[in-house]
Amino acid sequence: MMVEEVFSSKGRVKILRLLVEIGELNISEIARRAGLNYATTNHHLIFLEKAGLVCHKSFGRIRIYRLNEDNAHAKAVKMLIEGWVMNEKR
Amino acid sequence: MYMSSYFTVFKDESKLDINYIPMRLLHREYQFNLLNKFFQFSIESPGKMAQRVLMVGKVGTGKTALAKLFGLKIMQMAQEKGVNLRYVHVNCRERRGSLFMILQQAILNFYPNFPKRGYSSEELLQMLLQVLDEQNIFVILALDEIEALVQSEGADALYKLTRVHESRLKAPQRLSLIGILRELGCLEVLDESTKSTLQRNIIFLEEYSKNELRDILNVRAVLAFRSDVVLDESLDIIAELAERENGNARYAIELLWRAGKYADASNLQEVSPECVRRASSSVYPIVQKNAIFSLGLHEKLFLLGLARQFKHAKKAYLTMGEAEDAYRIVCEEYGEKPRGHTQLWKYVNNLSAADIVETQGSGSGLRGKTTLIGLPYVPAEELDRELSRRLGLNDG
Repeated sequence: MMVEEVFSSKGRVKILRLLVEIGELNISEIARRAGLNYATTNHHLIFLEKAGLVCHKSFGRIRIYRLNEDNAHAKAVKMLIEGWVMNEKR
Repeated sequence: MYMSSYFTVFKDESKLDINYIPMRLLHREYQFNLLNKFFQFSIESPGKMAQRVLMVGKVGTGKTALAKLFGLKIMQMAQEKGVNLRYVHVNCRERRGSLFMILQQAILNFYPNFPKRGYSSEELLQMLLQVLDEQNIFVILALDEIEALVQSEGADALYKLTRVHESRLKAPQRLSLIGILRELGCLEVLDESTKSTLQRNIIFLEEYSKNELRDILNVRAVLAFRSDVVLDESLDIIAELAERENGNARYAIELLWRAGKYADASNLQEVSPECVRRASSSVYPIVQKNAIFSLGLHEKLFLLGLARQFKHAKKAYLTMGEAEDAYRIVCEEYGEKPRGHTQLWKYVNNLSAADIVETQGSGSGLRGKTTLIGLPYVPAEELDRELSRRLGLNDG
């Protein structure tokens, strides 16, 4: 998947940032914190999972997502966001 | 003897805090060893079985402290042996006696952002086991004030907790339980099989004797106060008073702290028996105090309304209507939307069950039928001050 496809959506970037900053979250909580609706969030998460950037664990009906740290692209995204946020705070 | 205004008799007040766990519990060595024996398997052959232990004793007999200290020590031992054993302590009363909230607190230890709603307590129990399986964790879940769980959920909750491994025949048994309670009587409502499963291992904590209390006070005084400021006679009086309060060590420690505060307030260089006498007249029974700490916001507001009414009215009882009016005024002061009558009535029942207030039907002499609420156990003035402080506004 091309890098521009991943970063072309503000919603996806918000979700990635949340997962970098918080670690693990369920869909409803991601949607609430990102200010997106459930369906859009779900759609983005499926996209990001296909791209190998995030992965999830299921507990019954609940899915908890986190960044897929085994994936090299996900690691790069994490470094980018962390560096960006650090500069924002300065 | 007077000193400059910044002199304090304390060296480290935190050693008298209700949450302070000493590294050794005096006069509880036998019970500590018993706990160790019951849970020896969890380090030597984890997963082979799940243990259930009950700890029974009156208020201030060291149940919670013993359980927490044991939890710390067994986690250390497990770590040394490479076993991923976790001790999780949950106060059932603080979790409103709800199995759901109890399990949720347990699971939040492993998943801090676990969603807070959207599933039942049965599902949550399965999720907890799934988490434990995935992370290869063994848990000793201590349910403090288990009476609250039995009261609000009946026999079902404990049945589920004790039988959770039955459907997992070949899987490791990951969840052991310690139930902490004041009297075994509250378990009468359980079915025979749950009762027998739970009551196999019981550790009784007897009331502390005067001499035992004296030993405990000695150690705490050394830890918390500057050297030689607490007079031996003061400790003697505290031990005697606490023995009369059913050998309640928590009461003794609180009395010691309060006596120190009186000494500080009077700019005295030592904690004299007079400080203890003054402190003892202001400490109300510890049972109610603990229960008050764990009340919800609106229960606290309701209680504050009651306290303020009783402070001014020379009555033994208030009607439900009067109590509601007082509550509404307090709500206005704190900018909270008042709850409706049915909810308040539930609060009154809870407060009555926790022995904070006393209720009775109005009977003859009053028109209509209403609930009469009394506050016989706690001084209204003290309650008002304590609640106002906890709720974050100045004394009204």
